[in-house]
Amino acid sequence: MGETILEVTNQRTAFATGRGLLQAVDGVSFTLERGKILGVVGESGSGKSVLSRSIMRLLPGTAVTGPGSRVVLNGQDLMQMSEGELRRLRGPQMAIVFQDPMTALNPVLTIGKQISEVLTFHLKMGKRDARRKAVELLRAVGLPQPDVRVDQYPHQLSGGMRQRVAIAIAIACEPDLLIADEPTTALDVTVQAEILDLLQRMVRERNMAMVLITHDMGVVAGRCDEVAVMYAGRIVEKAPVTELFRNTAMPYTAALFASIPRVTDPPHRKLDAIEGRPPDLINPPPGCPFAPRCRFAEEACRRTVPELEGTATHQWACIKPLNREVAA
Amino acid sequence: MHYLFRRFQRLFIVMIVVTFVTFLLVNILPGDVAYEMAGMDSSEAEVEAIREEMGLNRPVLIRYAEWVGGIFTGDWGRSFINKEDVWHAIMQRFPVSFELMILAQAIALAMAIPAGMLSAYRPNGRGDRIIGAIAFASVSMPSFMTAILLIYFFSLHLGWLPATGYEPLSEGLWANLKPMILPALSLALVEWTILMRTLRVEMISVLQENYIALARAKGMSNRRILWVHALRPSSFSMITLLGLQVARLLGGTIIIEQIFGIPGVGRLLIHAVYTRDFIVIQGCVTFFALAFVTANFLVDIAYAWLDPRVRTRGAHG
Ligand SMILES: Nc1ncnc2c1ncn2[C@@H]1O[C@H](COP(=O)(O)OP(=O)(O)O)[C@@H](O)[C@H]1O
Ligand SMILES: [Mg+2]
Repeated sequence: MGETILEVTNQRTAFATGRGLLQAVDGVSFTLERGKILGVVGESGSGKSVLSRSIMRLLPGTAVTGPGSRVVLNGQDLMQMSEGELRRLRGPQMAIVFQDPMTALNPVLTIGKQISEVLTFHLKMGKRDARRKAVELLRAVGLPQPDVRVDQYPHQLSGGMRQRVAIAIAIACEPDLLIADEPTTALDVTVQAEILDLLQRMVRERNMAMVLITHDMGVVAGRCDEVAVMYAGRIVEKAPVTELFRNTAMPYTAALFASIPRVTDPPHRKLDAIEGRPPDLINPPPGCPFAPRCRFAEEACRRTVPELEGTATHQWACIKPLNREVAA
Repeated sequence: MHYLFRRFQRLFIVMIVVTFVTFLLVNILPGDVAYEMAGMDSSEAEVEAIREEMGLNRPVLIRYAEWVGGIFTGDWGRSFINKEDVWHAIMQRFPVSFELMILAQAIALAMAIPAGMLSAYRPNGRGDRIIGAIAFASVSMPSFMTAILLIYFFSLHLGWLPATGYEPLSEGLWANLKPMILPALSLALVEWTILMRTLRVEMISVLQENYIALARAKGMSNRRILWVHALRPSSFSMITLLGLQVARLLGGTIIIEQIFGIPGVGRLLIHAVYTRDFIVIQGCVTFFALAFVTANFLVDIAYAWLDPRVRTRGAHG
């Protein structure tokens, strides 16, 4: 067993809305070790971003965190920390890369300034050292002409290059935990693989741990050690990638696999989006939240919410898992 | 290049319109300078003789053309009353008015920026509501009323600052600033509120931006996020307003210079109005228009500083 970096226990995050409490994250637990990549996959609205912000403790004022929720980073309980203490961890111990690189960088500050400020702020580096380090980081993330780019503004860079800059910012203080929230969703298909390869390389080279969030099963394949599938704020299946692919238990996971675009597809083919819509998180239906959309759902599925069960390496939240007629 | 040309084109049109309207207004108004010069108990014939001598009997358009031609060649004419060169008279008093306006805007900004930030940081929070109430009270009072209250309180009651007077900078910085504080504050107390509200609205939306979320995720402090990350992108409307306010401020200084006995362009203008010295009036108004256009030209330059996107666009085309 490697060194545990992140331990999330029963994380529950809700938002106070006009219609009532919206349960965006509903009892998520997992642990992540150094050097490992955890993929978090789910449709849009399944709570992935709220989960990532819950871990970083960067929630808006309307958010309510459930009483039993615990996030432990490097042995420190984040729930017990003051805002000032958390601030010292953001950057040096945990960092995040956002989805949309076009809006994630400040339009009025140079690239160099946006990288070096974390160095001067957290590591108390001098201005010139910080600038030199910024150029070095830009080189490390594969930005061409880093010593020219360092003085440029975000609008002078392409989307892919901006995402490289965002990654440079995230790894600047050598954090132990890196959260990448759909880091390639807003990018051209051709650059997506480059950015994912870069993230993977950074995690391996710097021996970090990464949570890689995506709605695309195709992204996690071959890159993650373990994959957690999210639906309606819960983890509904979790397993190492190959196990998940070979022995898919949840019909929802199977549907996600079916929606991966294939190279053999004719261009612009419409994806097999999963039929139906995610449940209302303010007034969830009774029973399994996926039941209303599930081909295999039975009466029992609509009665009780299934708990995560299974083996030490593969868990699912389904009372009628696929490929397992004999097991149960 | 093209951009600059268009700007000058606009400036030219503005100046023609402003000078023409002023000229007409001043010349349509009843009572002319000839009466003033001839004295109270002069005969109609004497007044007519003065008109003849000064060319006041010629058609309005001809006199306008003459005067505007002079403006463009640097000859702003001479006062009918004391024969002082108009350009010279304005330039002598302008630094005083300029200092007053700069000081007023500086005080207004120094109040508006922190207050606007605090309001935007927690909209509808307690700080926001207190600031909103103060701003409302402050903007409800016209500057001359504020001036009278300030004089009463700080000059008469506390005796901290003089109620009237002006000292040139050669007397020392503090001696120069001291009598300027209350007049500048009177102007600023009206101007800061609208700057503050504009900044507040724009900053509330900037604080929702992804790059602010990223700054938080980088562990930056709230103060740094507000001052370094949010202020500049939130300042566009405020800067535009700063330029437009110059017009109101020019009007404000006329009254305030009068109340506080400050020898600025406003006083020159008021005096010229009393004496029907219309060439001075025309000169002052033209000068105000020029000042306004110049201020807004500076605002355009400030945009480039605020927003690198404008800057590089300029560099490419
Ligand atoms: N600040 C917020 N206030 C209210 N509801 C929110 C807020 N942020 C997210 N939500 C809701 O939480 C749910 C999960 O959102 P999110 O985590 O962004 O999904 P995704 O998996 O696409 O990242 C959605 O239903 C969304 O509408
Ligand atoms: Mg998301």
